[in-house]
Amino acid sequence: MLNLISFQSSALGALGQLALLAALAFTLAGTWLAVLGGIRADARATEAARRSTWAVFALMSLAIMVLLTALLRDDFSVRYVAEHSMRSSPTWVKITSLWGALEGSVLLWAWMLAGFTFILSLTLRRDSLRPWALGAMFVSLLFFVGVCATVASPFTPVASLLADGRGPNPALQNHWMMAVHPVLLYLGFVGLSVPFAYAVAALVTGRLSDHWVTVTRRWTLVAWVFLTAAIVAGGWWSYETLGWGGYWAWDPVENASFIPWLLTTAFLHSVQIQERRGLMRSWNVWLIVLAYASTVLGTFLNRSGIVQSVHAFAGGPVGPVFFGFLAFLLIAGIGLAAWRAPQLRDDGDPPSALSREGAFLAGNWLFVVFAVMVLVGTLFPTFIEAVQGRRDASVGPAFYNAFAIPLGLGLMLMMGVGPLLPWRRADGQTFWRALRPLLIVGVGAAALAFVLGVRGAGVLGTIALSAYNLLGLGLLTARALKQRREARQVGGFLSLVREQPRRYGAYTAHIGLVVMALGLAFSGAYRGDAQATLNTGAAPRALLHEQLQLVSLREEQKPYGASAIARVLIDGRPFEARLNTFRQAPGTLFPAPAVRYGAITDTYLVLTSIDPAGKWASVRLIESPLVSWIWWGTLIVCLGAGLTLVSPRQVGVRRMAAGLAPATD
Amino acid sequence: MTMPSSPPPSSPLPPARRRKRSPLPVALGVVALVGLTAFIAFGNLGKSLEYFVTPSEYLQQRDELEGRPIRIGGLVKAVQYNPQTLDLKFNVSDGGASFPVTYNGAVSDLFKEDQGVVVRGQFSGNTFEARELVVKHSEEYNVPKTQAELKDLLQRSE
Repeated sequence: MLNLISFQSSALGALGQLALLAALAFTLAGTWLAVLGGIRADARATEAARRSTWAVFALMSLAIMVLLTALLRDDFSVRYVAEHSMRSSPTWVKITSLWGALEGSVLLWAWMLAGFTFILSLTLRRDSLRPWALGAMFVSLLFFVGVCATVASPFTPVASLLADGRGPNPALQNHWMMAVHPVLLYLGFVGLSVPFAYAVAALVTGRLSDHWVTVTRRWTLVAWVFLTAAIVAGGWWSYETLGWGGYWAWDPVENASFIPWLLTTAFLHSVQIQERRGLMRSWNVWLIVLAYASTVLGTFLNRSGIVQSVHAFAGGPVGPVFFGFLAFLLIAGIGLAAWRAPQLRDDGDPPSALSREGAFLAGNWLFVVFAVMVLVGTLFPTFIEAVQGRRDASVGPAFYNAFAIPLGLGLMLMMGVGPLLPWRRADGQTFWRALRPLLIVGVGAAALAFVLGVRGAGVLGTIALSAYNLLGLGLLTARALKQRREARQVGGFLSLVREQPRRYGAYTAHIGLVVMALGLAFSGAYRGDAQATLNTGAAPRALLHEQLQLVSLREEQKPYGASAIARVLIDGRPFEARLNTFRQAPGTLFPAPAVRYGAITDTYLVLTSIDPAGKWASVRLIESPLVSWIWWGTLIVCLGAGLTLVSPRQVGVRRMAAGLAPATD
Repeated sequence: MTMPSSPPPSSPLPPARRRKRSPLPVALGVVALVGLTAFIAFGNLGKSLEYFVTPSEYLQQRDELEGRPIRIGGLVKAVQYNPQTLDLKFNVSDGGASFPVTYNGAVSDLFKEDQGVVVRGQFSGNTFEARELVVKHSEEYNVPKTQAELKDLLQRSE
């Protein structure tokens, strides 16, 4: 059985384990109190549940501080530290080791969840949803704190004390991005638990409080920003360290983070239909339940080893436990939604096709189909194995690209239509008049690109739709400015943004997505990739219209590993590509490519192999256009999304009198 | 159950005047969308599935797999590598069967005889043309006995 507390524990290990067990006790008490408060409408029980969250958060903070201290003090009597850290690691690696392996990452997750529950306990209104929202958070906490305190406790003692730990996973020491990507991802995943809790509360009580939409939208948006940043950060890490010059491989675990993103993006749009028109209530609840379930599915895939992946960590007993939680969430969530969602009645007819909510709904369907297809592709090999009994089939990127490109273009099409249309119902002629210039410009841009030699259908489509989107947003902004001038209002563009941050934040995010889409399309279609062996002191050698010359090869020894460094001149500019080896895995080489980022083209040099005698080095040169647009586009998207959270500046009654649209959009 | 408490938007019409619109066009549109996407995907799915076989398994399923992208895994034998031209030739073997593999690209000096390897690519005739090599470095290496054992070993160290 589990060796949770024993006399072999060091002081730190025992303290950490006690903190976890106490947190688990408070979580159990809180769950019971919240359900009691919900069933009996007992304000005192609800209040007690609310205060339990503070205790849970305090104890989880203590646990995580203890583990961090143990890592920094090299306390190898704690098993997690002995297995995933070592004396010679730099301090930043020791800190990131906190979430570099399974037990630590579950602890970090549980701590964040406790933190979000704590924040929620401070912001919840005193309405009938409150006990149930707390209860739903407690159920998630129960699982994560429970796993953390039992099957995946980082504080279990070691059988025999070692002089030095086994050290962190080399892949995590290779680049600082690895310190950031998981944290962002967990913040995104955990952030979705709050809207989920609100959805559960709405389902259990069969009612939506008046601020349900506001709260879920804000929390979802925050989670969505983290999720977006995390997915792209993961892509950037892959680009910077794996030495293949790509950023997205449709790896099962990448997909596992992408599915929640798709569903959450859909929700951010459909929730506005609920806000403005009081429609789509049950749809929204369904989306949130499924988005949260998909984050747990992602974690399960990541940790269980059920799919082969670059991310699959050895899981041990955690896979089945996660699967149990996933099954529980799906059965409970879907059952609850199927039973109660019809009672969340809408205020009117379903949206008409030619209206903003119609466009949002069409986009929603595209997002949901996209998510389902990605899920099918991810689970298909597992399914084949179960049905045909053939092991180890895998689905290549070609499968995904076949539907991802058309669906992505369809989403870009809807993205341009949505803002043009008014709420409720549009007059077909007005709409057509608004759409015509955009279509003309889109087709014109694609024709121009075709003349300039662009041939790929996907790239041409992206160019056309990018021009169409940018023009649409530009025209809308120009029209709003013109109306301001006509209404004799002071201030220009900045005042406009300050009065309607949500509208212009959304426009900004859309512009960022256009920039990203161009980056994805061009870097996918026009990537140059060549390999060669360079000899030291030889004349420059031509590769992909560049001249490469190997200047020198040298070795660097560090306490935690070694690097071979090749200095190469590419068209006279120096590049230093490395091959790193780490002490834990002497047989594995980790390339650290030298990348020169450019606004138009990245030059990416990977050292693939070196002559032990130092006479030659083999390199791989990759040139992909517009890759950096993906990173910059993401930054614009996140800034725009952040802008939508800013409260609008009140202009008072004059606006309403002028008959303009209210500031929320 | 009580009605939700969010205020209804000020509509000029009282709710009694609602028209019931048939859900048929929406349903048809959704079915068409899902159908189209599924068609695009599954039309390719048969082609884009990449099986993982050992040389002996490939011998048995040859008719089905020839010319398709597959992954083949086994041990490296008879390596010939020219670092200047980056041309690599070796045999991939599982003790039962063995096939020659050609590849153009750099391999590190860790690529040795009896090393575990997984190769992506396809067969043309008897030669496997590799697009990508995934070299396996296992700490406790001993020659596996069965096909399943070999596969497990190769998968585990992936």
